[in-house]
Amino acid sequence: MAQPAVVYEECVAQESSWDADEALTAVYTAHYTSLVRLGALLLRDTGSAEEIVQDAFVAMHSRWHRLRDPHKALSYLRTAVVNRCRSRQRHLVVVDKHTPRSLPDEPSAEQAVLRTAETDRVIDAMRTLPEKQRTVMVLRYYADLSEAEIADTMGISRGSVKSHAARASKSLRQVLEQSR
Amino acid sequence: MTNPDDQFDELMRRSLHDEAEQVQPADGLHQIQARVRDQHKPAVRRPWLLTAGAAVVGTAAAIGAFTMLGNDGPATKDAEVAGPADSTKTVTGPVPASQLPTAAPATPEPTLAPTEAPKVAPTPRGKVEQVTSKAVPVYWLGKTAGVDTGAGVRLYRTWAQIKGRPAYEALRLMTSGKSVDPDYSSPWQGSAVSSVTRADGLITVDFKVLPRQQLAPAVANMAAQQLVYTVQGAMDVTGPVQVTVQGEPVTRLFGVDTAQPLSRAQALDVQAFIWVTYPENGTIVRAPLKVSGIAAAHEASLNYRITANKTGQLIAEGSTQTTEAYKLTPYSFTVTKLPAGEYTLEIFEISMEDGRQTSTDTKTFYVR
Repeated sequence: MAQPAVVYEECVAQESSWDADEALTAVYTAHYTSLVRLGALLLRDTGSAEEIVQDAFVAMHSRWHRLRDPHKALSYLRTAVVNRCRSRQRHLVVVDKHTPRSLPDEPSAEQAVLRTAETDRVIDAMRTLPEKQRTVMVLRYYADLSEAEIADTMGISRGSVKSHAARASKSLRQVLEQSR
Repeated sequence: MTNPDDQFDELMRRSLHDEAEQVQPADGLHQIQARVRDQHKPAVRRPWLLTAGAAVVGTAAAIGAFTMLGNDGPATKDAEVAGPADSTKTVTGPVPASQLPTAAPATPEPTLAPTEAPKVAPTPRGKVEQVTSKAVPVYWLGKTAGVDTGAGVRLYRTWAQIKGRPAYEALRLMTSGKSVDPDYSSPWQGSAVSSVTRADGLITVDFKVLPRQQLAPAVANMAAQQLVYTVQGAMDVTGPVQVTVQGEPVTRLFGVDTAQPLSRAQALDVQAFIWVTYPENGTIVRAPLKVSGIAAAHEASLNYRITANKTGQLIAEGSTQTTEAYKLTPYSFTVTKLPAGEYTLEIFEISMEDGRQTSTDTKTFYVR
């Protein structure tokens, strides 16, 4: 019943001869949806996630001469998306202090219907986590990144990844236990 | 599932994927492509697009000049029309630290009234440059440490004050192989320039002797751009460059087939990602020191480090920002405390992939 983690399957062949436009199309086709989903999990706002991922693709295009490799491009995009989402979240925290309920956190009616009760509990529990812990959990369980990859993507040490993950798991377990 | 950890992991994985699949983004490719196009249009003026235009304007200006000058005839006025006179970029004073080499020349504003009679005679192949005194950029190859893709070398620039024919003198420095910065080199070393002429927008560089070195194609291409950038920088034009040996066209440079004439490559493809334009290597400066340069950096972020050469002691380190990410844009920062001594400045970028220090440009300087 567990879904195989194929989000970042390497469906892009090694193609270093691509120019920036070709690379853009190919990498877009392979990874756009999963990157928007990653952003949406971090931000809980699909519109902002789309905007951020598009920014990242525009940046990747202008940097293709330096990346030249779809795998590097993907890790570049992922890092860009995570960084931008994180700074957006930090901004939202500031805004939140002034406007008690921020809109992006309100799931749409359709989403609420389609989601299972189990997923609901986990997603709600994730909202109680500090930003770094939440990001680590999303990268670990959605993007299926290794500790080292998470560390690179977030620009923190492996030790920090480990401790954020440990703390996040502990509080999630507690919250889920209570809400059962 | 007896292991509670497995259960927790499974639950997390399932829930996050479940949640993610609710998200069905609309097609964004066209929007991204449109933004890529928009970004390129106004922000970066492509040198090769301007080439044709500039050449046309130059020629028109030349015709205009003749008309205005009356009956003197082309022979005596050759120097005036050797290139679009561009007084805005001619440097006579101290070398500017922040002058951008990537900026395409502004619409040429030809000087219609010559102030002095040119003294140079035309060659059959075109017109030689006017003798002058100015600062010219000379380009070199430097290693792109930590950037594994591409040629492994990119273009760096130094400035030189010359007296004579700008492009010819700049090429003489370039072919001497003696850069003021020992990190930079020139595969053109050992070659000898005979003349630089210009006709109908085409710049011809004639060599007495071509360099003998054999290079890998990517490096040979970079070396060809080194010549193009140096010649064009000295002449303040971006026209195509033809290489000849004793008047004969050549098809191979550094053992690699080369299409001629050479046109200017995009700066981002050939220029080193980080340049320090001030201080230049080996110069004496005063504190507070304002370090400046040009760089194309990820998220616009660069790192610097200054160490004292005698003690190896770290004097200053930190990060700085370029004006705009991913594009070759200026940066600067100021170091206030610098006692007298010899220092090494390093500016570099931390690799996104593995945290390595990349694209480092290093300068030695002295504080009195």
